[in-house]
Amino acid sequence: MKRLVFVAVALAVLAALGPAPARAAAVVGQPAPAFTLTDSQGRARSLADFEGMVVVLEWWNFECPFVAKHYGSGNMQKLQKEWTAKGVVWLTVSSSAPGKQGHVDGARANELMKEKGGASTAVLLDHDGKAGKAYGAKTTPHMFVIDAKGTVVYAGGIDDKPSTDQADIATAKDYVSAALAEVTAGKSVTAATSQPYGCSVKYAE
Amino acid sequence: MLPFGRFSRGVLSAVAGLVFAVPGASAQAPPGRHVKASLVAETDAVRPGQPLTVGIRLEMEKGWHTYWRNPGDSGLPTRVKWELPAGFSAGEILWPYPEPFRTGPLVSYGYEHEVLLPVEMRVPPAVPGPQVRIAGRVDWLECLEACLPGRADVSLTLPVRAAAAPAPQAALFAEARRRLPKKDPAWRFSASSAAGGVSLVVRPPRGTDLREAYFYPVTPRLLDYAQPQKLTREGAAHRLALARDPNGAPSDRLAGVLVAGTSDGSWAVEVDVPLVSGPARTSLKQERNP
Repeated sequence: MKRLVFVAVALAVLAALGPAPARAAAVVGQPAPAFTLTDSQGRARSLADFEGMVVVLEWWNFECPFVAKHYGSGNMQKLQKEWTAKGVVWLTVSSSAPGKQGHVDGARANELMKEKGGASTAVLLDHDGKAGKAYGAKTTPHMFVIDAKGTVVYAGGIDDKPSTDQADIATAKDYVSAALAEVTAGKSVTAATSQPYGCSVKYAE
Repeated sequence: MLPFGRFSRGVLSAVAGLVFAVPGASAQAPPGRHVKASLVAETDAVRPGQPLTVGIRLEMEKGWHTYWRNPGDSGLPTRVKWELPAGFSAGEILWPYPEPFRTGPLVSYGYEHEVLLPVEMRVPPAVPGPQVRIAGRVDWLECLEACLPGRADVSLTLPVRAAAAPAPQAALFAEARRRLPKKDPAWRFSASSAAGGVSLVVRPPRGTDLREAYFYPVTPRLLDYAQPQKLTREGAAHRLALARDPNGAPSDRLAGVLVAGTSDGSWAVEVDVPLVSGPARTSLKQERNP
């Protein structure tokens, strides 16, 4: 085996990554982290407001090609319509920091959702990324389902086909609907975690 | 702190002019994209019945990156769909070890500047015609801060001959091979579950002092990529403490690439060992790396 003279250089870069900030996460089986955020209509929304209801959190960045896959195809709006009609609270969260890709104020969020036919209960603005970091939201989309008792019952991808190709949606396993069907029927969620996929959430550095 | 790969880029740019002068190598990059993909071969001809190594070359604009086989917290690995002459078959992409990118609280794994992803091809004993055309559709995700999906149809035409010489771009392959993780039984590993994490016990070859190490995980959904990896010495062994993804999936193996800085230079070694529960032993019998 030959020596690799430049591995040392790689390690220097790794060292320069520095200590990682302690990473919190919404962990399946544990209470969902509390939050209060302003929605796109200017109203304060807390997780506690939805006590007794099943809640979906969807991390959103309208400029991300993975998000565009699910909005361009109408898949995300279809899920929002279907599950809010069944009494589920669907919260679309934007954690894009000011100046970052996908950053929106309330007016822009409303305009985009109107244009796309979005049917979330509310769009929440998490400009400082506090809620996103508390949940450990990594990608757009990254999906969480919280049961009526406030316990995280699903954390992961929207489906099992990590791509930006709309054609993959038809054959993908829809984890969110599967989790919602089970939790709204009072059953435990079979596939409670999966690999989230997408663009990185555009937090402030 | 030196940017990773400065040495590699020097080597690569020295041969770049030669590569573009090679007939048969083609590249298409849609306008507005930030990564150029092309297909190159290690030799200047195809020999019937002899393996052929080709490579997907990705040249990235400054700051842009593409992803490793495990992209980390976000991103997608580069993929290729081959269109090959009858009797040819392609192996999997051989992945040079990547570099980590941190954005906020997230870490992803990939390549900046330039990378060659080698692929070994099986060539049938009889190859009709004076030349063959190897083509593929390459899909990747390119990111600066924002990401764009990239796609290119690449191809390469090579003469069929009994003998072949190294192609001018052979230096790119030599460079990529230096970064391919090696299977090396002189490095011994064992892995066990620890509270909230995974412990990788590393025993370097006798007489080699391990000074620094970073583990690039291949096992999906096991580890929290953004957490620091703490290296501690335990007698002749070293323990690398890795954090688990709290929403991850259980695994009975730990696979990945250990990049190690030692008294005897730096190494990239393949790790693929059982992941057992309970504390990892550092002093008794060690699992050998297969």
